[in-house]
Amino acid sequence: MSEKNIYKPIKYKVDKVVSETPLIKTFFISADKEFEFKTGQFVEVTLDGIGEAPYTPSSSPYVKEKMELTIMKAGYVTGKMHELKGGETIGIRGPYGKGYPIEKFYGKEILILGGGVGLAPLRCLILTLLEEEDKFKKINICFGAKTPADFIYKDWFDELKNHKNVELFRSVDKADENWNETEGVVTALLDQIKTDYKEIVSIVCGPPIMMKFGAKRLLELGVKEENIYLSMETNMSCGLGKCGHCAMGSLYVCKDGPVFTYDEIKNTSEMIEFRSLFDKK
Amino acid sequence: MRAYSVSLKQWVKILSLVSAKLNVFAPFKRNDFLDYELLSDNNLDLICFNKAKPTTPLKAFFFPIKENVVKERKKLQQVIFGVPNCDLEALDLLDKIFLDEEFLDIYYKEKRKNTILIGSDCYEIDKNCHCTSYGINPYPQKNCDISFSLINHKVTLQVHTKKGEIFLSEFVTDLTEIDEIPEEILRKREKTAEKLKLQHKDLPNAEDTRKALQKEGTVVWKKFAKDCVSCGACAVICPTCHCFLLIDKANFEKVKIWDACQYPSFERVAGDEDPLEKIYNRLKNRYLCKFVHKPDMFDEIACTGCGRCIDACIGKINKNELIIEACK
Repeated sequence: MSEKNIYKPIKYKVDKVVSETPLIKTFFISADKEFEFKTGQFVEVTLDGIGEAPYTPSSSPYVKEKMELTIMKAGYVTGKMHELKGGETIGIRGPYGKGYPIEKFYGKEILILGGGVGLAPLRCLILTLLEEEDKFKKINICFGAKTPADFIYKDWFDELKNHKNVELFRSVDKADENWNETEGVVTALLDQIKTDYKEIVSIVCGPPIMMKFGAKRLLELGVKEENIYLSMETNMSCGLGKCGHCAMGSLYVCKDGPVFTYDEIKNTSEMIEFRSLFDKK
Repeated sequence: MRAYSVSLKQWVKILSLVSAKLNVFAPFKRNDFLDYELLSDNNLDLICFNKAKPTTPLKAFFFPIKENVVKERKKLQQVIFGVPNCDLEALDLLDKIFLDEEFLDIYYKEKRKNTILIGSDCYEIDKNCHCTSYGINPYPQKNCDISFSLINHKVTLQVHTKKGEIFLSEFVTDLTEIDEIPEEILRKREKTAEKLKLQHKDLPNAEDTRKALQKEGTVVWKKFAKDCVSCGACAVICPTCHCFLLIDKANFEKVKIWDACQYPSFERVAGDEDPLEKIYNRLKNRYLCKFVHKPDMFDEIACTGCGRCIDACIGKINKNELIIEACK
């Protein structure tokens, strides 16, 4: 068989593993072959004989000789992933899916809304945007976590604040005595941003409930439906638009997403059901 | 399109010659069920001709129930004889999914390439056959290499592809070419189609079904889901259902196994959120997939009217009754 086998993973080495929070770790993977991916795309990672799951890299696509994956322990495969210490061989297929359409963001003010481990793909996006920082009017970043200790990439925030074009807002659901930023849900941060929401491009990634309420609040503030980018999380097996697991209405999250604009998915049954929840209120 | 005429005796001899060299699967009747079996000199005289569909859908030959998709495999040439048109039509959708240029499934492609498909006219119909409701005829028109029809001990072979022509020339030298398809075959086809239309005259067409299912709230789904036990038989037996799961084996091997959206947790994610948690939502998903989503995504409806899902349902859910009720 000379044609490429779409199901066969390529082997890579895990260099080291860093704990971000008790439930979240970052895996550093080095490549003898270069990684080519666009921000927003994902890879399928195989643990030999255990299972496979999709993750979006958290490192910059401009860095080709290594890749970072930040993964929350949430189920069986991610639990096994967390047992890795470094030095192990894993399999990778991909990249799959469509990335963020960065060119569409040129000249615009950007608002990034993220929570929990949702910061992982957003870090990849932000690092990509910062490569051409001058092309964007301003980059507003709103990050949320349950507690200050639950923030991942704690060392990265100071670096972000050094960029003149970046403004960082953070909130925690529950503050401690050292916390002097916002306490409350991450969407509350939106009230602190002075901007013309009608012109803004917003990107949301986080737990499903945050995505839904994030999208709702952005719509209320006047952000256009086609300017709200949501990262969808679904069950996924092949990543190739064949196995059917990630179908969301007439879309496959793996092939057509995983990033969708609000207007692309507002009529899928999942979103309709959600919207009916707040229509009744 | 070339056509040939041979006697039934001669045709059986040809099949025997082929089966000595290649794996040939043909329909046989066992305990009231018609299904494919490997042909050998022991069962040669029991082959069934021009009946309704075999129990196993054609997809199983190209997309097996369970297949290691990392290991290299032997290229096996095979012939499948007696394929009904409902299954051949299903290949339009399956080919679009598995032969997609961006992500080509080489395992599927290899098997498609190494298989000679001999379709056959249906001259008998089962009570749940309803291909004509979706504009499909009960005789092959495409997606096969050769098509077969037997009337009055005389076989007519229509050759649809170059591959079919080469195959025949390898095994037979004395075929009589005919200019036209015999009139009695055309009449028989027409008669079968009419019988099918009459049998399901109340069943709405694909477009009306699509519109009605899109509008359907929860009443019909909840009503019919009461009898669903999530066994997944409807998907397993369906010629177009293609969902699967990749299971990991040691040495980075992967096994592709059939999966079904009727199974609980088909769409469950870590953290236990599951858009298809409720059984009626799973049933709805199946019907919308067939008549709304697949047409949107691939320009193909994912039902060829074979009726196998009705035959197979343990809860006796009748797909056509559900559709008629939703269209009221």
